[in-house]
Amino acid sequence: MSPQEAPGLTANLLIDLSLLTLLVFVALAMLRSRHLFAVVMLSGVYSLLSASFFVSLDAVDVAFTEAAVGAGISTVLMLAGMLLTARREKPARPRRAPVALLAVAAVGTALIYASLDMPAFGDPDSPANAGVGRDYLERTPKEIAVPNVVTAVLASYRGFDTLGEVMVIFTAGVAVILLLGAGSARGGRAVTDAEEDA
Amino acid sequence: MNLMAQLPVLPVVIPFVAGALALLLPKGRAPWAWATFVSWLSFLASALLLREVAATGPVSYHLGDWPPPWGIEYRIDLANAIVLALVSGIAAAVAPFAYESVRAEIDERQSPYFYAAFLICVSGLLGVTATGDAFNIFVFLEISSLSTYALVAMGGRQDRRALTAAFTYLVMGTLGATFFVIGVGLLYHATGTLNLADLHLKLAGQHNRVVEAGFAFILVGIGLKLAMFPMHLWLPNAYAYAPSAVSAFLAATATKVAVYVLVRFFYSVFGLDFAFLGDALTYVLLPLGVAGMFVASLIAVFQHDVKRMLAYSSVGQIGYMLLGLSFGTREGLAAALIHLVNHGLMKGALFLAVACVVYRLGDHRCAAFSGLARRMPVTTWAFVLSGLSLIGVPGTVGFVSKWYLLEASFAAGHAWAAFMIVASSLIAVLYVGRVVELMLLREPPEQGPLSEPVKEAPLSMLIPMWALVAANLYFGLRTEFTAGFAEQAAAALMTVSGGR
Amino acid sequence: MIDLAFIAERYNYWIFIVLMMIGVYIVISRGNLVKKIVGLNIFQTSVFIYYISIGKVAGGTAPILPAAYESGHEGKGARASAAHGESAPAPGAASGESLHAAPQSAPEALPANDLASAVAQTPQGAGPSGEAGLHAAPGEAANPLLAPPDGAGDAASALGEAAHKAAEIVYSNPLPHVLILTAIVVGVATTAVGLALAVRIREAYGTIEEDELEAADDIAEFGAAFGEKAEGARA
Repeated sequence: MSPQEAPGLTANLLIDLSLLTLLVFVALAMLRSRHLFAVVMLSGVYSLLSASFFVSLDAVDVAFTEAAVGAGISTVLMLAGMLLTARREKPARPRRAPVALLAVAAVGTALIYASLDMPAFGDPDSPANAGVGRDYLERTPKEIAVPNVVTAVLASYRGFDTLGEVMVIFTAGVAVILLLGAGSARGGRAVTDAEEDA
Repeated sequence: MNLMAQLPVLPVVIPFVAGALALLLPKGRAPWAWATFVSWLSFLASALLLREVAATGPVSYHLGDWPPPWGIEYRIDLANAIVLALVSGIAAAVAPFAYESVRAEIDERQSPYFYAAFLICVSGLLGVTATGDAFNIFVFLEISSLSTYALVAMGGRQDRRALTAAFTYLVMGTLGATFFVIGVGLLYHATGTLNLADLHLKLAGQHNRVVEAGFAFILVGIGLKLAMFPMHLWLPNAYAYAPSAVSAFLAATATKVAVYVLVRFFYSVFGLDFAFLGDALTYVLLPLGVAGMFVASLIAVFQHDVKRMLAYSSVGQIGYMLLGLSFGTREGLAAALIHLVNHGLMKGALFLAVACVVYRLGDHRCAAFSGLARRMPVTTWAFVLSGLSLIGVPGTVGFVSKWYLLEASFAAGHAWAAFMIVASSLIAVLYVGRVVELMLLREPPEQGPLSEPVKEAPLSMLIPMWALVAANLYFGLRTEFTAGFAEQAAAALMTVSGGR
Repeated sequence: MIDLAFIAERYNYWIFIVLMMIGVYIVISRGNLVKKIVGLNIFQTSVFIYYISIGKVAGGTAPILPAAYESGHEGKGARASAAHGESAPAPGAASGESLHAAPQSAPEALPANDLASAVAQTPQGAGPSGEAGLHAAPGEAANPLLAPPDGAGDAASALGEAAHKAAEIVYSNPLPHVLILTAIVVGVATTAVGLALAVRIREAYGTIEEDELEAADDIAEFGAAFGEKAEGARA
């Protein structure tokens, strides 16, 4: 990429950066809060923010799905799960923190190490963008009369992945029925909210 | 439509579709009969595929007729044909066995869902094995994992610890799968392709940090899935508290498929030219493999629960496979593949024997095995023979594994590794011997719930169990199928990866 | 040494790493099962951000091919004839500007997606049915001024302009989008199963705190809880 084309502080980039920064703050708030209700709501916010981030990165299909599935269905599921289990999280056992920090530091270091060699963000000639992805843009109009290349790849070129995805949902349905449906030996215990101080 | 041309996808697609259809069946015997029929069909397809691949070489199948790297490819060579045959074969043995065992442990109303989940799990594991596309591996890994979490949790009817075990498994499994996806993403970032063969071509000569990190993430992600030694914490409880038939199936297949994926990435994608791989083999796989062989085996000796003991033993046995892989030689790879198949056979038989005991006595703690030879002799001898196989006594598949592992250690110039293998086998003598001693030499409990007189397990359980025991003995004497194929597969993988 | 461009080029990746670390930290350090699932969600979503960032092309748009291009591809039917009808008058300043702009900006648009060649090929692919009017269709859609319906040679040059116009549009990489669509669904499926398990655990144990679960299991097996777990259970 030639110097004059290096991403300056364009409006798009600013939106991009601020959305990402917001995401980090929401995630930190989720880490700190022990009100599970607040955490679940924040996770909805988190999903919506990431959906808007996906729009700014041209991934409209992904944004749509993330808004519907991530912010919608997932939040409802978590809300239901929280109401059926507990409203509050008990204070974390401090003994876990060092292990967690160690694991997280190791993983983070590995990725930051990798990021130094990564192609620049938005580089049109990075291997990933010059590879199979660009071929799809060329081939789709010739081979599949669908203007949306994402749909074409999803439904045709990588249709088997999508079939697998349908099976994943089906499996989750079977799993939930096995766990909570008739004959699952559930105890009919009423859920009472343990009211205790934070 | 020519069915033979579709052969490469049949082992996967048959249980895939049949799993969905199983929900339509009425509860009771029908879902079980369907699952048994389907798993036999899938086994038949895998066996035909193995024969074809052995005769004519690797087969490539383009899903949706899109050529790779644009479409998803199924690429079957000897290495995954063997694993396909193992997984579907174990499913074909466990499915008929499951009827009585599952009827005793799971509510009848759940039977259609249970067998649907079972078939989906089989299909997921086979899909991971057959595919030649990195992201498709993830999708099928998740199909098999999600069904596995539910199947393990089904043990909650007997023991509520199955629920927490399933939850732990879910958390660790999802972490592993997501690590794997990050690894695939890094590789995609560096190459622009997802097809495994294409990845190999594009990775040739690349030694940048992105690829190195991609390798590390795939290693850790799959390491979690295959219960590599310090990442094995989910495994013992999951196998101990899952329904007996589920434990037998998972112990014989799930971790083996993960080992296969690791082999595929090591040799078919990265290749031995990738310097980082050599370091990982020497400084990660070798120590972790040896540590697993000893630590997990030693923990197994002190278990009071036979299923937990076998589960820890599985972690130890995976150590042997990792040790074989870590040599980075053709012999080591062959030994790892041989042990992968053989361990599936012996663990399958052992867990089925435990399932028979659970069926009659309702308990899998050591106390239930006391004096078992007088009460359930057929089951006892099945356990003893497959236990001998686990130790590695001549005439069994375990001996074949150990023999090839020892040869590989000497060939790689690691004589000390040979010593380790023998020493660790002695620990296996301890934990297997402890149960065998209980069964053969002790008296049955005289009081308590375990003292009730019991009959031998029903034939529908004994026959599949003895079929696996027979396989342990047959392949222990006729090694051309397991060892022969595995050596050819290893040679082919080595050629691709640029090793000797 | 500190290069602002270098940072801007990697900001997305670093944010992904930070989010991923927060997610993993929650999963490992928190004992509450629902919180663990929330952590898994953050972790998985961070991976989505990484994948989508891989596929972004600077100055690109969503990988949906424009309608003009589509009509050129189909080369028949209502769209083509509609464009044909519009072509006769309409000399406009705006279209003149765009004509000038096209050649200048085309070389800048580095990736180009090779759409130019794709467009150029399409009419040949259409084969014998290619009469002048049909050939002109893409050109007309792009710039009515240059495509009088009677000149085949003009139509060809218009096609070249259309190719330049198409080259102007840069698309982001569609493949990561496809993969992440699948991954989102997988993530929700995992969340559903995890929550169902948490509900069952709550019913069986009366708690979803990991410490208390372990303590309950210890008490059931050995008759007493040990060490820190016991304190956690009492707290």
